[in-house]
Amino acid sequence: MRKSGYLGEFEQVVLLAVVRLGEEGYGTTIRREIERRTGRQVAVGAVYATLTRLEEKGYVGSRVGEATARRGGRSKRHYRLEPAGERALESARRMLDRMWEGVDLGPHAGRL
Amino acid sequence: MKLPSEIGPEARIPKLAAGLVRLAMPEDERDAVLGDLAEEYSDRVEQSGGRSGRARAWYWRQVAGCVGLGLWLRWRRRSRLAAGSSGSVGVMQALVRDVRHGMRSIRRSAAFSLVVGTTLALGIAATTIVFSIVDGVVLNPFPFPDPDRLVGVGTMYPRLGPRVGFFENMSPAEYIDVAEGSRTLERVVAWDMGNRQVTFGEVTENLFSAFWWGDAFATLGVRPVAGRGFTVEEIERGDRVAILSYRVWQSRFGGEPSLVGGTILMNGEPYTVVGIMPPRTSIYGTDLWLPMGVSPAVFPRNRRQFQVLGRMAAGVSLAAVNSELAAIAGRVEAAHGAEFEEYEGWAMRAETWNDINVRNLRPAGMILVGAVAFVLLLVCANVASLLLARGAARRRELAVRAALGAGRGRMVGQVLTESVELALFAGVVGVALGWLGVGIVSDAIASLGLRIPGEVAVNGRVLGVSAAVSVAAGLAFGAMPAVHAVRSAPQRSLQADSPLLAGSRSRLRLQRVFVGIEVALALVLLAGSGLLVSSFVKLGRVEPGFEPANVLTMRLTLAWQRYDRTAIEPFFQELRERVGAIAGVSDVATTSQFAPLVFSRNQFVIEGAVSTAESALPVAYTTVASPGYFDALRIPLSRGRAFTEADRAGTPLVAVINEAAAQRYFPGQQALGRRIRLLNGDWIEIVGVVGSTRNVGLERDPEPELFASTLQQSGLSNQMFLVVRTEGSPRSVLPAIREAVHSLDPEQPVYLVRTLEEAISGTQTPRRVSMAALTAFGVFALLLAAVGIYAVVAYAASQRTREIGVRMALGAESAQVRRLVVRQALVPVGIGVVIGMVAAAGFGRVMSSLLFGVSGNDPVALGSAGLLLSAAAALASYLPALRASGLDPVTALRPE
Repeated sequence: MRKSGYLGEFEQVVLLAVVRLGEEGYGTTIRREIERRTGRQVAVGAVYATLTRLEEKGYVGSRVGEATARRGGRSKRHYRLEPAGERALESARRMLDRMWEGVDLGPHAGRL
Repeated sequence: MKLPSEIGPEARIPKLAAGLVRLAMPEDERDAVLGDLAEEYSDRVEQSGGRSGRARAWYWRQVAGCVGLGLWLRWRRRSRLAAGSSGSVGVMQALVRDVRHGMRSIRRSAAFSLVVGTTLALGIAATTIVFSIVDGVVLNPFPFPDPDRLVGVGTMYPRLGPRVGFFENMSPAEYIDVAEGSRTLERVVAWDMGNRQVTFGEVTENLFSAFWWGDAFATLGVRPVAGRGFTVEEIERGDRVAILSYRVWQSRFGGEPSLVGGTILMNGEPYTVVGIMPPRTSIYGTDLWLPMGVSPAVFPRNRRQFQVLGRMAAGVSLAAVNSELAAIAGRVEAAHGAEFEEYEGWAMRAETWNDINVRNLRPAGMILVGAVAFVLLLVCANVASLLLARGAARRRELAVRAALGAGRGRMVGQVLTESVELALFAGVVGVALGWLGVGIVSDAIASLGLRIPGEVAVNGRVLGVSAAVSVAAGLAFGAMPAVHAVRSAPQRSLQADSPLLAGSRSRLRLQRVFVGIEVALALVLLAGSGLLVSSFVKLGRVEPGFEPANVLTMRLTLAWQRYDRTAIEPFFQELRERVGAIAGVSDVATTSQFAPLVFSRNQFVIEGAVSTAESALPVAYTTVASPGYFDALRIPLSRGRAFTEADRAGTPLVAVINEAAAQRYFPGQQALGRRIRLLNGDWIEIVGVVGSTRNVGLERDPEPELFASTLQQSGLSNQMFLVVRTEGSPRSVLPAIREAVHSLDPEQPVYLVRTLEEAISGTQTPRRVSMAALTAFGVFALLLAAVGIYAVVAYAASQRTREIGVRMALGAESAQVRRLVVRQALVPVGIGVVIGMVAAAGFGRVMSSLLFGVSGNDPVALGSAGLLLSAAAALASYLPALRASGLDPVTALRPE
């Protein structure tokens, strides 16, 4: 019941990881990038579930990549940002920026 | 079968976890997800320095999410496809509907499902536990690839008896004969065993060790998990290099990779660790491997204390190996027969390493498998019988559906789906219970210190068997009620309930057949357990010929580098004195072996007896014991005298024989004063006769035994047992004994510490395990049969509610009604008992190797099992009968 065009927090995080990694972006690197930058543990299944949804919405595209011995001979799936994804990210950011406009929690944050 | 290259950290990805993910994922997403998991797993193993524990835990944590993801993806695709509706989707949708309907139906009749599910779960748990034990210990005890090509070389000396020995049976020269003379064996190794003290930080521990000639890893077909094996040069020179077992590496060094290349302190000297054995590399439980460090040529040809193991060349049969070994034995006999008499007619025989190690466990293992198969059959029969009863209750529902046009296939499918769901649910619970049970069993094995070849753990094979069994059980017991439900004609089922319905008649008949089968199966298990219990009672009454209480035994092996022949007996003599001075020790002796498990035997010649080349020479178990041995074990002296301290080197050689030897070799004669001679030995005078002991196991008659004095035959062996009789608890003097050994030689370990009672009960392990299992299964079977009988009687009574109502309205006594109901139930029970008796007698014959003092068709065991079952059956049928007879005729006759 999410309105199209609206991005959830984790979706934004995943999209940004895809942007940051560029050519290097596939399941493992995306998950690690998120873990490293957010400091949170991320499950493999969660990343793929989100990527699948993003792909269905046309925000990311994917292609089958190379297989390595370390992966037990299984190929990677590389993700890249699509123009629609770029627009969605930008609008999410603008939306947040507008919400933050004029807000300063300052030193009394949490105490109204 | 694992290839050597697969044994490494990367192969230890949890297979079950990966399998679950693979199963759940749609094919096109599989590679991405499984590949990521594998990649991250390897990285995590590397980060924790080769240890896989945390990585495995991480992997397992990912499983739920990934399985959920896979199912979600599949579901989305299907629902998207379903919008375009095609034939195959119709099937899928039907399946989804069946699954949902099944779940509803299981929930609706919770109590019924609970009974069926629990029964099935217990059956599956029992299967999981038993298959784990039998698979780990009997079927696949070792992780070596191509186990059929790995053979031990045994020897047999015909004039010593028909037994082929595989333990401490080969001399270095004979090893060389085989290694150089054999073409069918591509690799041959020999090893000796002993103990070494290794220091781990503050702690010094005895490690059971193997000393090798040849490349052990290549012969076993495995590669070290880290490092390498010994080089030829290291073995020849006796370099200070060592290989540790995986479990010591893990438990003592936390799997620290830098240990390889580092040093450990052994008997106070630094040794370089060059490699780590892969897990479960069990060569008689050795934890430390060392190069032999000496050339085979330095040993005399008859120093037989080594084992020889070979790997057959590809495509060679065991028969070919054996015919080649026969040729080699012939050549050896021709070359050395004159010098070593024992070579006359000797033979070498190869058997697979698995056979050699598990032979004596196999009967117990097969009985366990047989018993658990019976239990599972019983469970299926019981569940089928319960489902049949329930099928009756569902008749109307199914009839309504049929009348409304449901297809036969759909209805069978629906009932089957429900059964399979129940079976799968029970399978999950059962495997979980089994998992717990296996843990308990393997802890028990560890805490009892039982020496078994393999290890007991739930593994992929076992899980596969359990899963297959649970689904098969679901299909098997589901099929019958399903078919039954469909066959009954809908319009008749929709009419008011009538006891004359053909459907209910045949259903009752089927149920009675199941009751008969259950009773027969339960009887076989109960009778088997009775036979084993009775064997144990009889064994407990056996007079061993010595007093096992309050005796502590242990073994010491003196390193030949530090003790030559002349130094061995002085060491033990001094040790006996020091141990004898410990408070609480009443007797002490050293001996090469002791009852109930003497193993070394020799031929001898009796002075004045005529012997031809063909006639068998007298044979006796030959024990070298110190003065005080008979006192320590409380073996009574019958005639003559025992050894004394006066019988020492330089005085005439003396021997003591047991009554069994006196009766067999000196029948009707005086044995005292006669002289005998071991082959290659001097004449010895018999000065005493002692009572016979059960020296080759409690269950076998005493064998002739010949005792020589350690004081006169000193230095024959560097391995001796210390036997100590104590006034109080035998274990309490152990620290003081260790102290005494330490004061004589700080580097000398003691091992195989057991009380004599433990040594005796250790010989009973297979029988004990079988008895415990059969008894547990028997009780379970009894319960199942009782539940089954109860269900049938209750159902039959409910079918006849009206009839009973009429009878009672016409004046029948409630006792008459009870008799009527019970009698009908007891007919199939009686038939089951008779069939069960016959089957139990057959099963008893299969068990004969585990029985003692009872025959397989022992009437007491069979009879009491039959009585017990009949009593349980009577009780199980009396309860519903009681209810039926308490019916109010008015209620019974009122239409529904």
